[in-house]
Amino acid sequence: MNCPDCRERIDRFVDRELSEDDLRSLEHHLSACPDCDDEYRLQSNVKRLVRVACGEGEAPAQLRERLRQLLS
Amino acid sequence: MAEAPSALEGDGFAAEAISHLDTLYRGALRLTRDAAQAEDLVQDTYVRALRYQSSYRVGTNMKAWLFAIMRNLFWDRFKGRRAEDVSLDGDGDFGLYDTLHDETAKPETQVLDGLAADEVVRAVDQLSELHREVVVLVDVEGFSYKDAADVIGVPIGTVMSRLHRARQALQRSLWEYARESGIVHGERTEP
Repeated sequence: MNCPDCRERIDRFVDRELSEDDLRSLEHHLSACPDCDDEYRLQSNVKRLVRVACGEGEAPAQLRERLRQLLS
Repeated sequence: MAEAPSALEGDGFAAEAISHLDTLYRGALRLTRDAAQAEDLVQDTYVRALRYQSSYRVGTNMKAWLFAIMRNLFWDRFKGRRAEDVSLDGDGDFGLYDTLHDETAKPETQVLDGLAADEVVRAVDQLSELHREVVVLVDVEGFSYKDAADVIGVPIGTVMSRLHRARQALQRSLWEYARESGIVHGERTEP
């Protein structure tokens, strides 16, 4: 796998959507290519930041109560 | 032959549906960017879910089912237009990694760690609606490409391309915040 092929697959690698064959080829490339490995780690960190920043917080209590009544 | 189960009965449906409330509310907040509208959107989602409860198949992904109802309501009611009509033009490719390597000696992880959570939320909120919803589904809620495609009603390839463009735009915004915060210096160069 070369760098353009690797960059084209990094999104899917970060999202765990690569096939087994592509996964092995990409990991092999990353182990030998610091630039692509840095790009992978950057993408992975941005995804983690978004998940943490946007994945917190609870629904307001009054909304929860209204929905409990609605669903009961 | 036994008939396939169609819907959870009564309390079972309610309990499972309500277990997704926080997730749905966070998603609604990102879609609408407004707490009052997010509450309305979530409430309308549950009203519709209850109305069409019989169409929910036991054993399938209720979170995805609820998100699909919610995003369709969002586009119908809050945007007043079809999602397919929204243009995604104007988002040129931008690589934070390449820019950082051009303009600063700081490692990119150090730059990212310097960003506050509300700056990351602000960057997500600045994405177009079509980009935002795919980031919410895949990056925040951990949907697979297939589940996200089913929720949105588009092919998997469309999810992938929107996600790629969304991440490019996100990197662009995060870089701007890093520059405004003094974490990095220099002007961003368009590729």
